[in-house]
Amino acid sequence: MVATTAAAPAARPRRRVDDGVMTVGRSRAGTIAANTIGVIFSLFMLFPVYWVLNTAFKPPTEVLALTPTFVPTHPTFDNFLSAFKAQYFLQDMLNGLVVTLMAVAGALVVGFLAALAIARFKFFGRKGIILVILAVQLVPFIALLIPLFLMLQRVSLTDSLIGVSITYLVLILPYTVWTLRGFISGIPRELDEAALIDGCTRGQVFWRIILPLTGPGLVATSVYGFIQAWNEFIIINTLNSPAKQNLMAWLLQNQTTRGTAWGPLMAGAIITSIPVVVFFLIIQRNIATGLTAGAVKG
Amino acid sequence: MRHGKYPFIIGFLVVPVALYCTFVVAAYLQAFQLSFTGWSGFGRITYIGFENFHKLWNDDLFWQSLRHNLFLLILLPVVTVAVALVIAFLLNVGGSSRGGQTRGVRGSKAYRIIFFFPQLLALAIVAVIFQRVFGPDKSGMLNGLFPASWNPWLFLADERWAMTCILIVLIWQAVGFYVVLFSAGMGSIPAEIYEAAALDGASRITLFFRVTIPLLWGTIQVAWVYLGIAAFDAFAVVNIMSVDRGGPNGATSVLSLMIWRNTFEFSQVGYASAIGVVLFFLTLTFAALTLRVTRRESLEA
Repeated sequence: MVATTAAAPAARPRRRVDDGVMTVGRSRAGTIAANTIGVIFSLFMLFPVYWVLNTAFKPPTEVLALTPTFVPTHPTFDNFLSAFKAQYFLQDMLNGLVVTLMAVAGALVVGFLAALAIARFKFFGRKGIILVILAVQLVPFIALLIPLFLMLQRVSLTDSLIGVSITYLVLILPYTVWTLRGFISGIPRELDEAALIDGCTRGQVFWRIILPLTGPGLVATSVYGFIQAWNEFIIINTLNSPAKQNLMAWLLQNQTTRGTAWGPLMAGAIITSIPVVVFFLIIQRNIATGLTAGAVKG
Repeated sequence: MRHGKYPFIIGFLVVPVALYCTFVVAAYLQAFQLSFTGWSGFGRITYIGFENFHKLWNDDLFWQSLRHNLFLLILLPVVTVAVALVIAFLLNVGGSSRGGQTRGVRGSKAYRIIFFFPQLLALAIVAVIFQRVFGPDKSGMLNGLFPASWNPWLFLADERWAMTCILIVLIWQAVGFYVVLFSAGMGSIPAEIYEAAALDGASRITLFFRVTIPLLWGTIQVAWVYLGIAAFDAFAVVNIMSVDRGGPNGATSVLSLMIWRNTFEFSQVGYASAIGVVLFFLTLTFAALTLRVTRRESLEA
């Protein structure tokens, strides 16, 4: 109370300036309402995730208890251990990593070059290529499973990590090209021209000027690509045998064969999500930039 | 300098164009071709003309699935965009005002991370989680939270509510992304516009409808198209969560699920391809229509 009365006289002269805004309805009650909605919505978003953690640390008897507890009474790591010991788990984790990294690396190289061409040159068919990039993201991929399978089978790339990697590359390429194009368009052309005048070749301009300046864009797109490829399971499940799946497919396989073994399933889900969460925490400051770069600088 | 242009362009674009021609264009052409066959997935391919499409027209499950897709197509974008807009607005403009500046609520950065979190979980994992959330006995999360005297709700096992459960999961999964997207868009709206409107006596609600929404229209349009496409797909969630794959009694069947089941369970690749062709045209029509219709509105506004 003392503090407020002391501050009041000092605040009074400013009051007039603030008047217009004070009538905006930006009342204390409004702010409280805004915060309340925020908290409730956070609970709505977080509770299921919390429930996963809760379930993963519970022994089987507690998982199916008819009066669920909010904290495991006898917390255990057994669920995680049994996931690690399960057939194909480590194998599929490794497969997932290999496939994802190959797809992301490939998409970065191919996507960067394509984005360069679209952002820096005017040529016949440029509009058409942009349109195709956007349209590809629209078509339902599920109808392509069979043709894809037949095509890869013809070149013996089914049941192979390479076949899946290439398919994932195609899947994440549109976003990669589109976002990188936004980043490259943001680099002033004057830089290219200055370098050309100083005696750089075109190739050197791309390699020494544009590539380093696109760094943040490359990070953003590779993280997005990683999330996409790591989380995919339909394609890999269709193309490959059980020994060549990724963790996501493994998880679903186990869901169907084990029925209601919720504890290990939730533990598996947590392990599967860790790489993506770690990646996200690394770049979370720039997430909005990465999301909008392609759109804003169109 | 110009003469050195085309080698670069061709060199840079040859790989992506080749990839798309094989993996998307050729694959789709093959899907079109298969839709005119009675192929089972094995053995000889026989052409049967439009028979698959004729059969589709008379298939009750097809119409039921299409209705479910339309249900999602209408409600998923409407609810997600509305919720995401309100939350993003609260985060950016809803806070207290000091010195006449509009600000977000306290902790808006933390909120942004929390809301984005579900986006990190694979749809497969989200579906598995929500199976547990909607568990039809007392060990399920929601039923566990309800008073002990209530009979357990069936959720996904209830024909009337199963589709709504699917919708809720899709919204839960998608909304965080659009909160972040709209927040970024709102962040780029100059603060002076809000201040000017506020000085003219605009309430927060007026600010929302008269300033934020018109200035974000382009982003909302994109969100609408993306959510619509998610509504046409919805395969992962339905396939994993629904009782008896699309059940109970077809209550959660969608077109993508029909494609999957006809391909891998019923060995009717030709028929599945026909559904794929229908889905292809539906999706493209929807995207073109949305962009056309909303563009006109934005010009009038």
